Amino acid sequence: MGRYILRRAAQAVGTLLLVMFLLHLLTTVAIQLNGNPAQAFFGDKVATPAQVAAVEQRFNLDDPCYDQVGNPCLGPFVERLGQYAQGDFGTNLRGREVSEIVATAAPNTIRLFCVVLVTWLALGMLLGSAAARWRGSPGDHGIRLTSVLIDAFPVFVLLIVYRYVVAVPLNRWAEDTFGENSWPPYWFKPSFDPDHPWATVVVPGILLGLAGSAAFIRLVRASQLDSYQGDHVRTARSKGLTEGRVVVHHVVRNSSVPVVTAVGLTFAEALGGAVITEGLMNIYGMGGVLWEAVRNDDVGLVLGVVTLLAAVTVVVMIVVDIAYALLDPRIRYE
Amino acid sequence: MSDAATPTPTARRTAGASSSPLADAWRRLRRRPDTIAAAVVLVFFGLMAAFPTLFTSTSPRTCPIREARTTPQGWGGEHPLGTDALGCDVLATLVHGIRPSLLLAIVVVGVSLLIGVTLGLLAGYYLGWVDYLVSRAVEVFLVIPLLLAALLVLSLFKGVDLGTGTFNVILLPAVVLILFGWMPYARYVRASTLEAKNLDYVTAARSLGASDLRIMGRHVLPNAIGTVTALLPTSVAGVISAEAVLSFLGIGVRPPATSWGIQIEQGSEWVLGGAPHILLAPLICLVATVLALVVLGDALRDALDPRLAA
Amino acid sequence: MRQARITTLAAAAAVVALTVAGCTPNDTVEGDGPVTLETWISQDMETLFPGDAGAYDNISVLDVVYDGLVRYDPETTEPYNYVAESIEPNDDNTVWTIKIKPDLTFQNGEPVDADAFARSWNYTADGDNGLYSNYFFGIIEGYDEMQPTTDDDGNITAEGAADELSGLKVTDDLTLEVTLASPFAGFATMLGYTGFFPIAQECLDDVEKCALEPIGNGPFQVTDWQQSQELTAEKWADYTLDETPSYDAIHWTEYAAGETAGWADFKAGDLDLSFPPTAEVESAKNDPELSERYVEKPGASLTYLGFSGYTEGPWNDIEFRKAISMAIDREGIISSLGSGQATPADSWVVPGGVPGGEAGTCEWCVYDPEAAKAALEKAGGWPDGEKLQISLGDDDAEVEYFTAIGNSIEEVLGIPYELNILPSDDYFSTRSAQGFDGMFRNNWFPDYPLNENYLSFYASGEPGAGHWGWYSEDFETKLDEAAAAPSLDESVALYQEAEAILAEEFPTIPFRWSFSATYYSDRLENVILNPFSGAPILRKIDVTA
Repeated sequence: MGRYILRRAAQAVGTLLLVMFLLHLLTTVAIQLNGNPAQAFFGDKVATPAQVAAVEQRFNLDDPCYDQVGNPCLGPFVERLGQYAQGDFGTNLRGREVSEIVATAAPNTIRLFCVVLVTWLALGMLLGSAAARWRGSPGDHGIRLTSVLIDAFPVFVLLIVYRYVVAVPLNRWAEDTFGENSWPPYWFKPSFDPDHPWATVVVPGILLGLAGSAAFIRLVRASQLDSYQGDHVRTARSKGLTEGRVVVHHVVRNSSVPVVTAVGLTFAEALGGAVITEGLMNIYGMGGVLWEAVRNDDVGLVLGVVTLLAAVTVVVMIVVDIAYALLDPRIRYE
Repeated sequence: MSDAATPTPTARRTAGASSSPLADAWRRLRRRPDTIAAAVVLVFFGLMAAFPTLFTSTSPRTCPIREARTTPQGWGGEHPLGTDALGCDVLATLVHGIRPSLLLAIVVVGVSLLIGVTLGLLAGYYLGWVDYLVSRAVEVFLVIPLLLAALLVLSLFKGVDLGTGTFNVILLPAVVLILFGWMPYARYVRASTLEAKNLDYVTAARSLGASDLRIMGRHVLPNAIGTVTALLPTSVAGVISAEAVLSFLGIGVRPPATSWGIQIEQGSEWVLGGAPHILLAPLICLVATVLALVVLGDALRDALDPRLAA
Repeated sequence: MRQARITTLAAAAAVVALTVAGCTPNDTVEGDGPVTLETWISQDMETLFPGDAGAYDNISVLDVVYDGLVRYDPETTEPYNYVAESIEPNDDNTVWTIKIKPDLTFQNGEPVDADAFARSWNYTADGDNGLYSNYFFGIIEGYDEMQPTTDDDGNITAEGAADELSGLKVTDDLTLEVTLASPFAGFATMLGYTGFFPIAQECLDDVEKCALEPIGNGPFQVTDWQQSQELTAEKWADYTLDETPSYDAIHWTEYAAGETAGWADFKAGDLDLSFPPTAEVESAKNDPELSERYVEKPGASLTYLGFSGYTEGPWNDIEFRKAISMAIDREGIISSLGSGQATPADSWVVPGGVPGGEAGTCEWCVYDPEAAKAALEKAGGWPDGEKLQISLGDDDAEVEYFTAIGNSIEEVLGIPYELNILPSDDYFSTRSAQGFDGMFRNNWFPDYPLNENYLSFYASGEPGAGHWGWYSEDFETKLDEAAAAPSLDESVALYQEAEAILAEEFPTIPFRWSFSATYYSDRLENVILNPFSGAPILRKIDVTA
């Protein structure tokens, strides 16, 4: 087992290096196409000479390879890896450290993700199990249709409608019903409140979770259908176990394995969704930071945050792999 | 155990099957009413993209501002679906806006399919270092979430002027969506190639001295393609939705070029302003299209993999 | 069983975390806590250094944290002395003597004296520091020597020779003597602008820190700034001047999406000041309860269209420019897109608010499709197959406006257009580099209330130069004449004549005036808008707990 984890970790480091190289290549091509290397970081934004100089120094843009289209610019890449290794992820246009920005923003994103995760698991397990249990029934079709609808509906419309149409009346209602100093009014605040980070992140989290839950519902359904046809279920049934026991012990339990794997993959997708959710609900998280950075053409910040997030994703994926290996005895880790 | 949400590529077809799997699938497809409804919806929107003038005679660029936010007047009225915040006819914008959305979807899915199938086939067939490289590449691209990649690439390349032709307008979103969208195809094709490779008739073909290229093209690929075909409608739906999100973030197709995504984005402002039709019209079309595609994809999958059919 | 337990555990842990965090009772104090005004700014505010603050948001915060030599009367926009005891020019308006009120201090205890102003002005005027308000000091003698030299690409080749303005003298503790580079009767009017605020020595010693934790001399003191999230300023207990606020603190929430973001929170009672997004303007207006808590004031910021006079094109013909101007349905566009936030413009200087401002100076700023077509005819039409490029910065609301402008032109004149949306609304340098081809958006936000402020930037010095490649010798002579006029009134009248020349030659097309309006919560009273920034004058508001 230990060796498996080690090997997996080594592999992850390799992946991470490749990811960084990919990001580096993208940046390099953009710079080579855009012309003036430092200016490329500002798009069409007008930068002060100090800002240009900072970017030039930061990314070693004085290197001549940036003038040759097609040159992968390996030298600057190695240097940048060195900077990353020292925890230096660059600065935004105004010189604030990316790592510092991320440090303030990350807790809110983690809160959001906790809510999202709970929503996924709750909805996925409940609806997916129900759909598989009563396969082919109107309920099953209903759940399938719902999951498809969830997929088809753009999440930003959901958030906008919630924020502008639903939140304020709900908030008023909650205040009238439960009193101003109780918790419910905070759940329905139209935007994030740093003084009540958990309460105000619940509803946005549920909405974002709802958007990603369709995949989970289908996943759970499909994997439980597999289980229902599996030999172990047939054996259990023939042993005379009650149906409830069969479902809980042999079907639901087995289906949790692919769900864990999917959490890792969907995590990456949810990061994208967080950009919209946090941007719209004024949550100061990683997504909100990216949202602002893109609007301000702060490529340095976008690059830094994306690199960090990619690193996080790699770590999450290993954790999931290891969890998977622990959960599923069929996986061999020689 | 592989990802069970998607059909495990099956080699259920025995060597002695009398009809082709695709013909079987077609027969099963026809029997489902939801599939037929979905197909009708898609044909309708397909027609709209191909012959916009059949549906409206108004130009989407005629926008008298004083007629802004007219409520829908129904069929026969001057503005059947009303006008938007700028006074442009909603129906006309809708009809003309489908083209960039659809073109983008087709280009993206087509190209990523090509890349994915080629790489997946090579990796699955040759294994060894080819497989190692492909698997690594898949992993690397999977790590960067599509939306984050889109944000990064589009902000990096914002300064590059691409012009305003129909194709140029969608070029940048297309490149991003392809670059970060080919991996699923590669994975599925690789998996089914692995299975198909060991089938008796493939082994037989090989022992008869058929070239690698011939085996891949004639024997392995047709077997693998079924799985991927089932993915296509859903992928097209995914790209159409992704376009809407990119437009919303201001990095997709740009005005005055129009797309459903842009319409939804602009309409969402007016939900409360007494003009919900500006949002509802494109939203309903988008949801209907995506829904139809997903239903079709589901049906296709079930048809190709009868084990999962309800 | 193991796997099930792990998943359940994870879910349970998350649920517990949520409920635990969510179930402690809220400790908001009602009644006897400090009375705080809740308002908002946008998230891109990065600095609170007076000389570097050019955006609406910094200015509205700095306006309560710092006090300038003069402040402006909300009704007449006329300056009155505030930190200054007196401001006196000599006979030809070239040398100004500024006396400062005695015994004023910064929030860190340092004295607000002549040195405090001199160090601030010298630092900002020094081009090597690259501050936003640098250009204001061009009016003072010795400015040119402080600017770096640049090559054609805009790269700095040498730093400015001087570090201090030679025209700025501290004659005693409380007296400044300012020698201008050329006569200017309106100098006193400029002095209330953020760029002219004083700074403490401690601030100059660590400018970066001071940009985040300002050391002001105004009624409020910044106590906490979580950049991009929130900013709090509390009443400064030792404030001695007379505009003492009646409440204890101001809390700004920072919004990513700007104004529209705040409206939902305003309705939910979390903000005291806000304005609805366009779509909700009507319903807010019709709400009988809301409409009682509403103030409005014509704004002073002009959005106008310019042409690339430095490139070949039909726009170099004045008839063409007239045609474009008369083809734009200002009324229609503004009533549809910006109801309550703008008014159609038909002059270059804001009418009614600023000395010398008069409505209707633009003869061709009326929507007249027939006349527009005739003018286009006269100009020789539009080349077939070409598109008129309209460039502007990336801002959703503006893109909508300019799409409407383009549509209006296309409809009346049949000229197809395309929008060239640059990823930032910061246009100044692209414009100075003469990088456009066609028409482009311009916006002028006045710095101080004088018609000169709306006109002097049209002076390009030579043919083909300037943002619009426009030059008029008559116009520039008139400006010089006006600046040298013996009294402010005569000066204003001469500037009006300069505006008339502008109207005649028509290099740019006025489009709309900003219009400021704000709704406020029922806790507030005495909400007055600053006549030219349009922001509520925070220090004058009364807040009940």
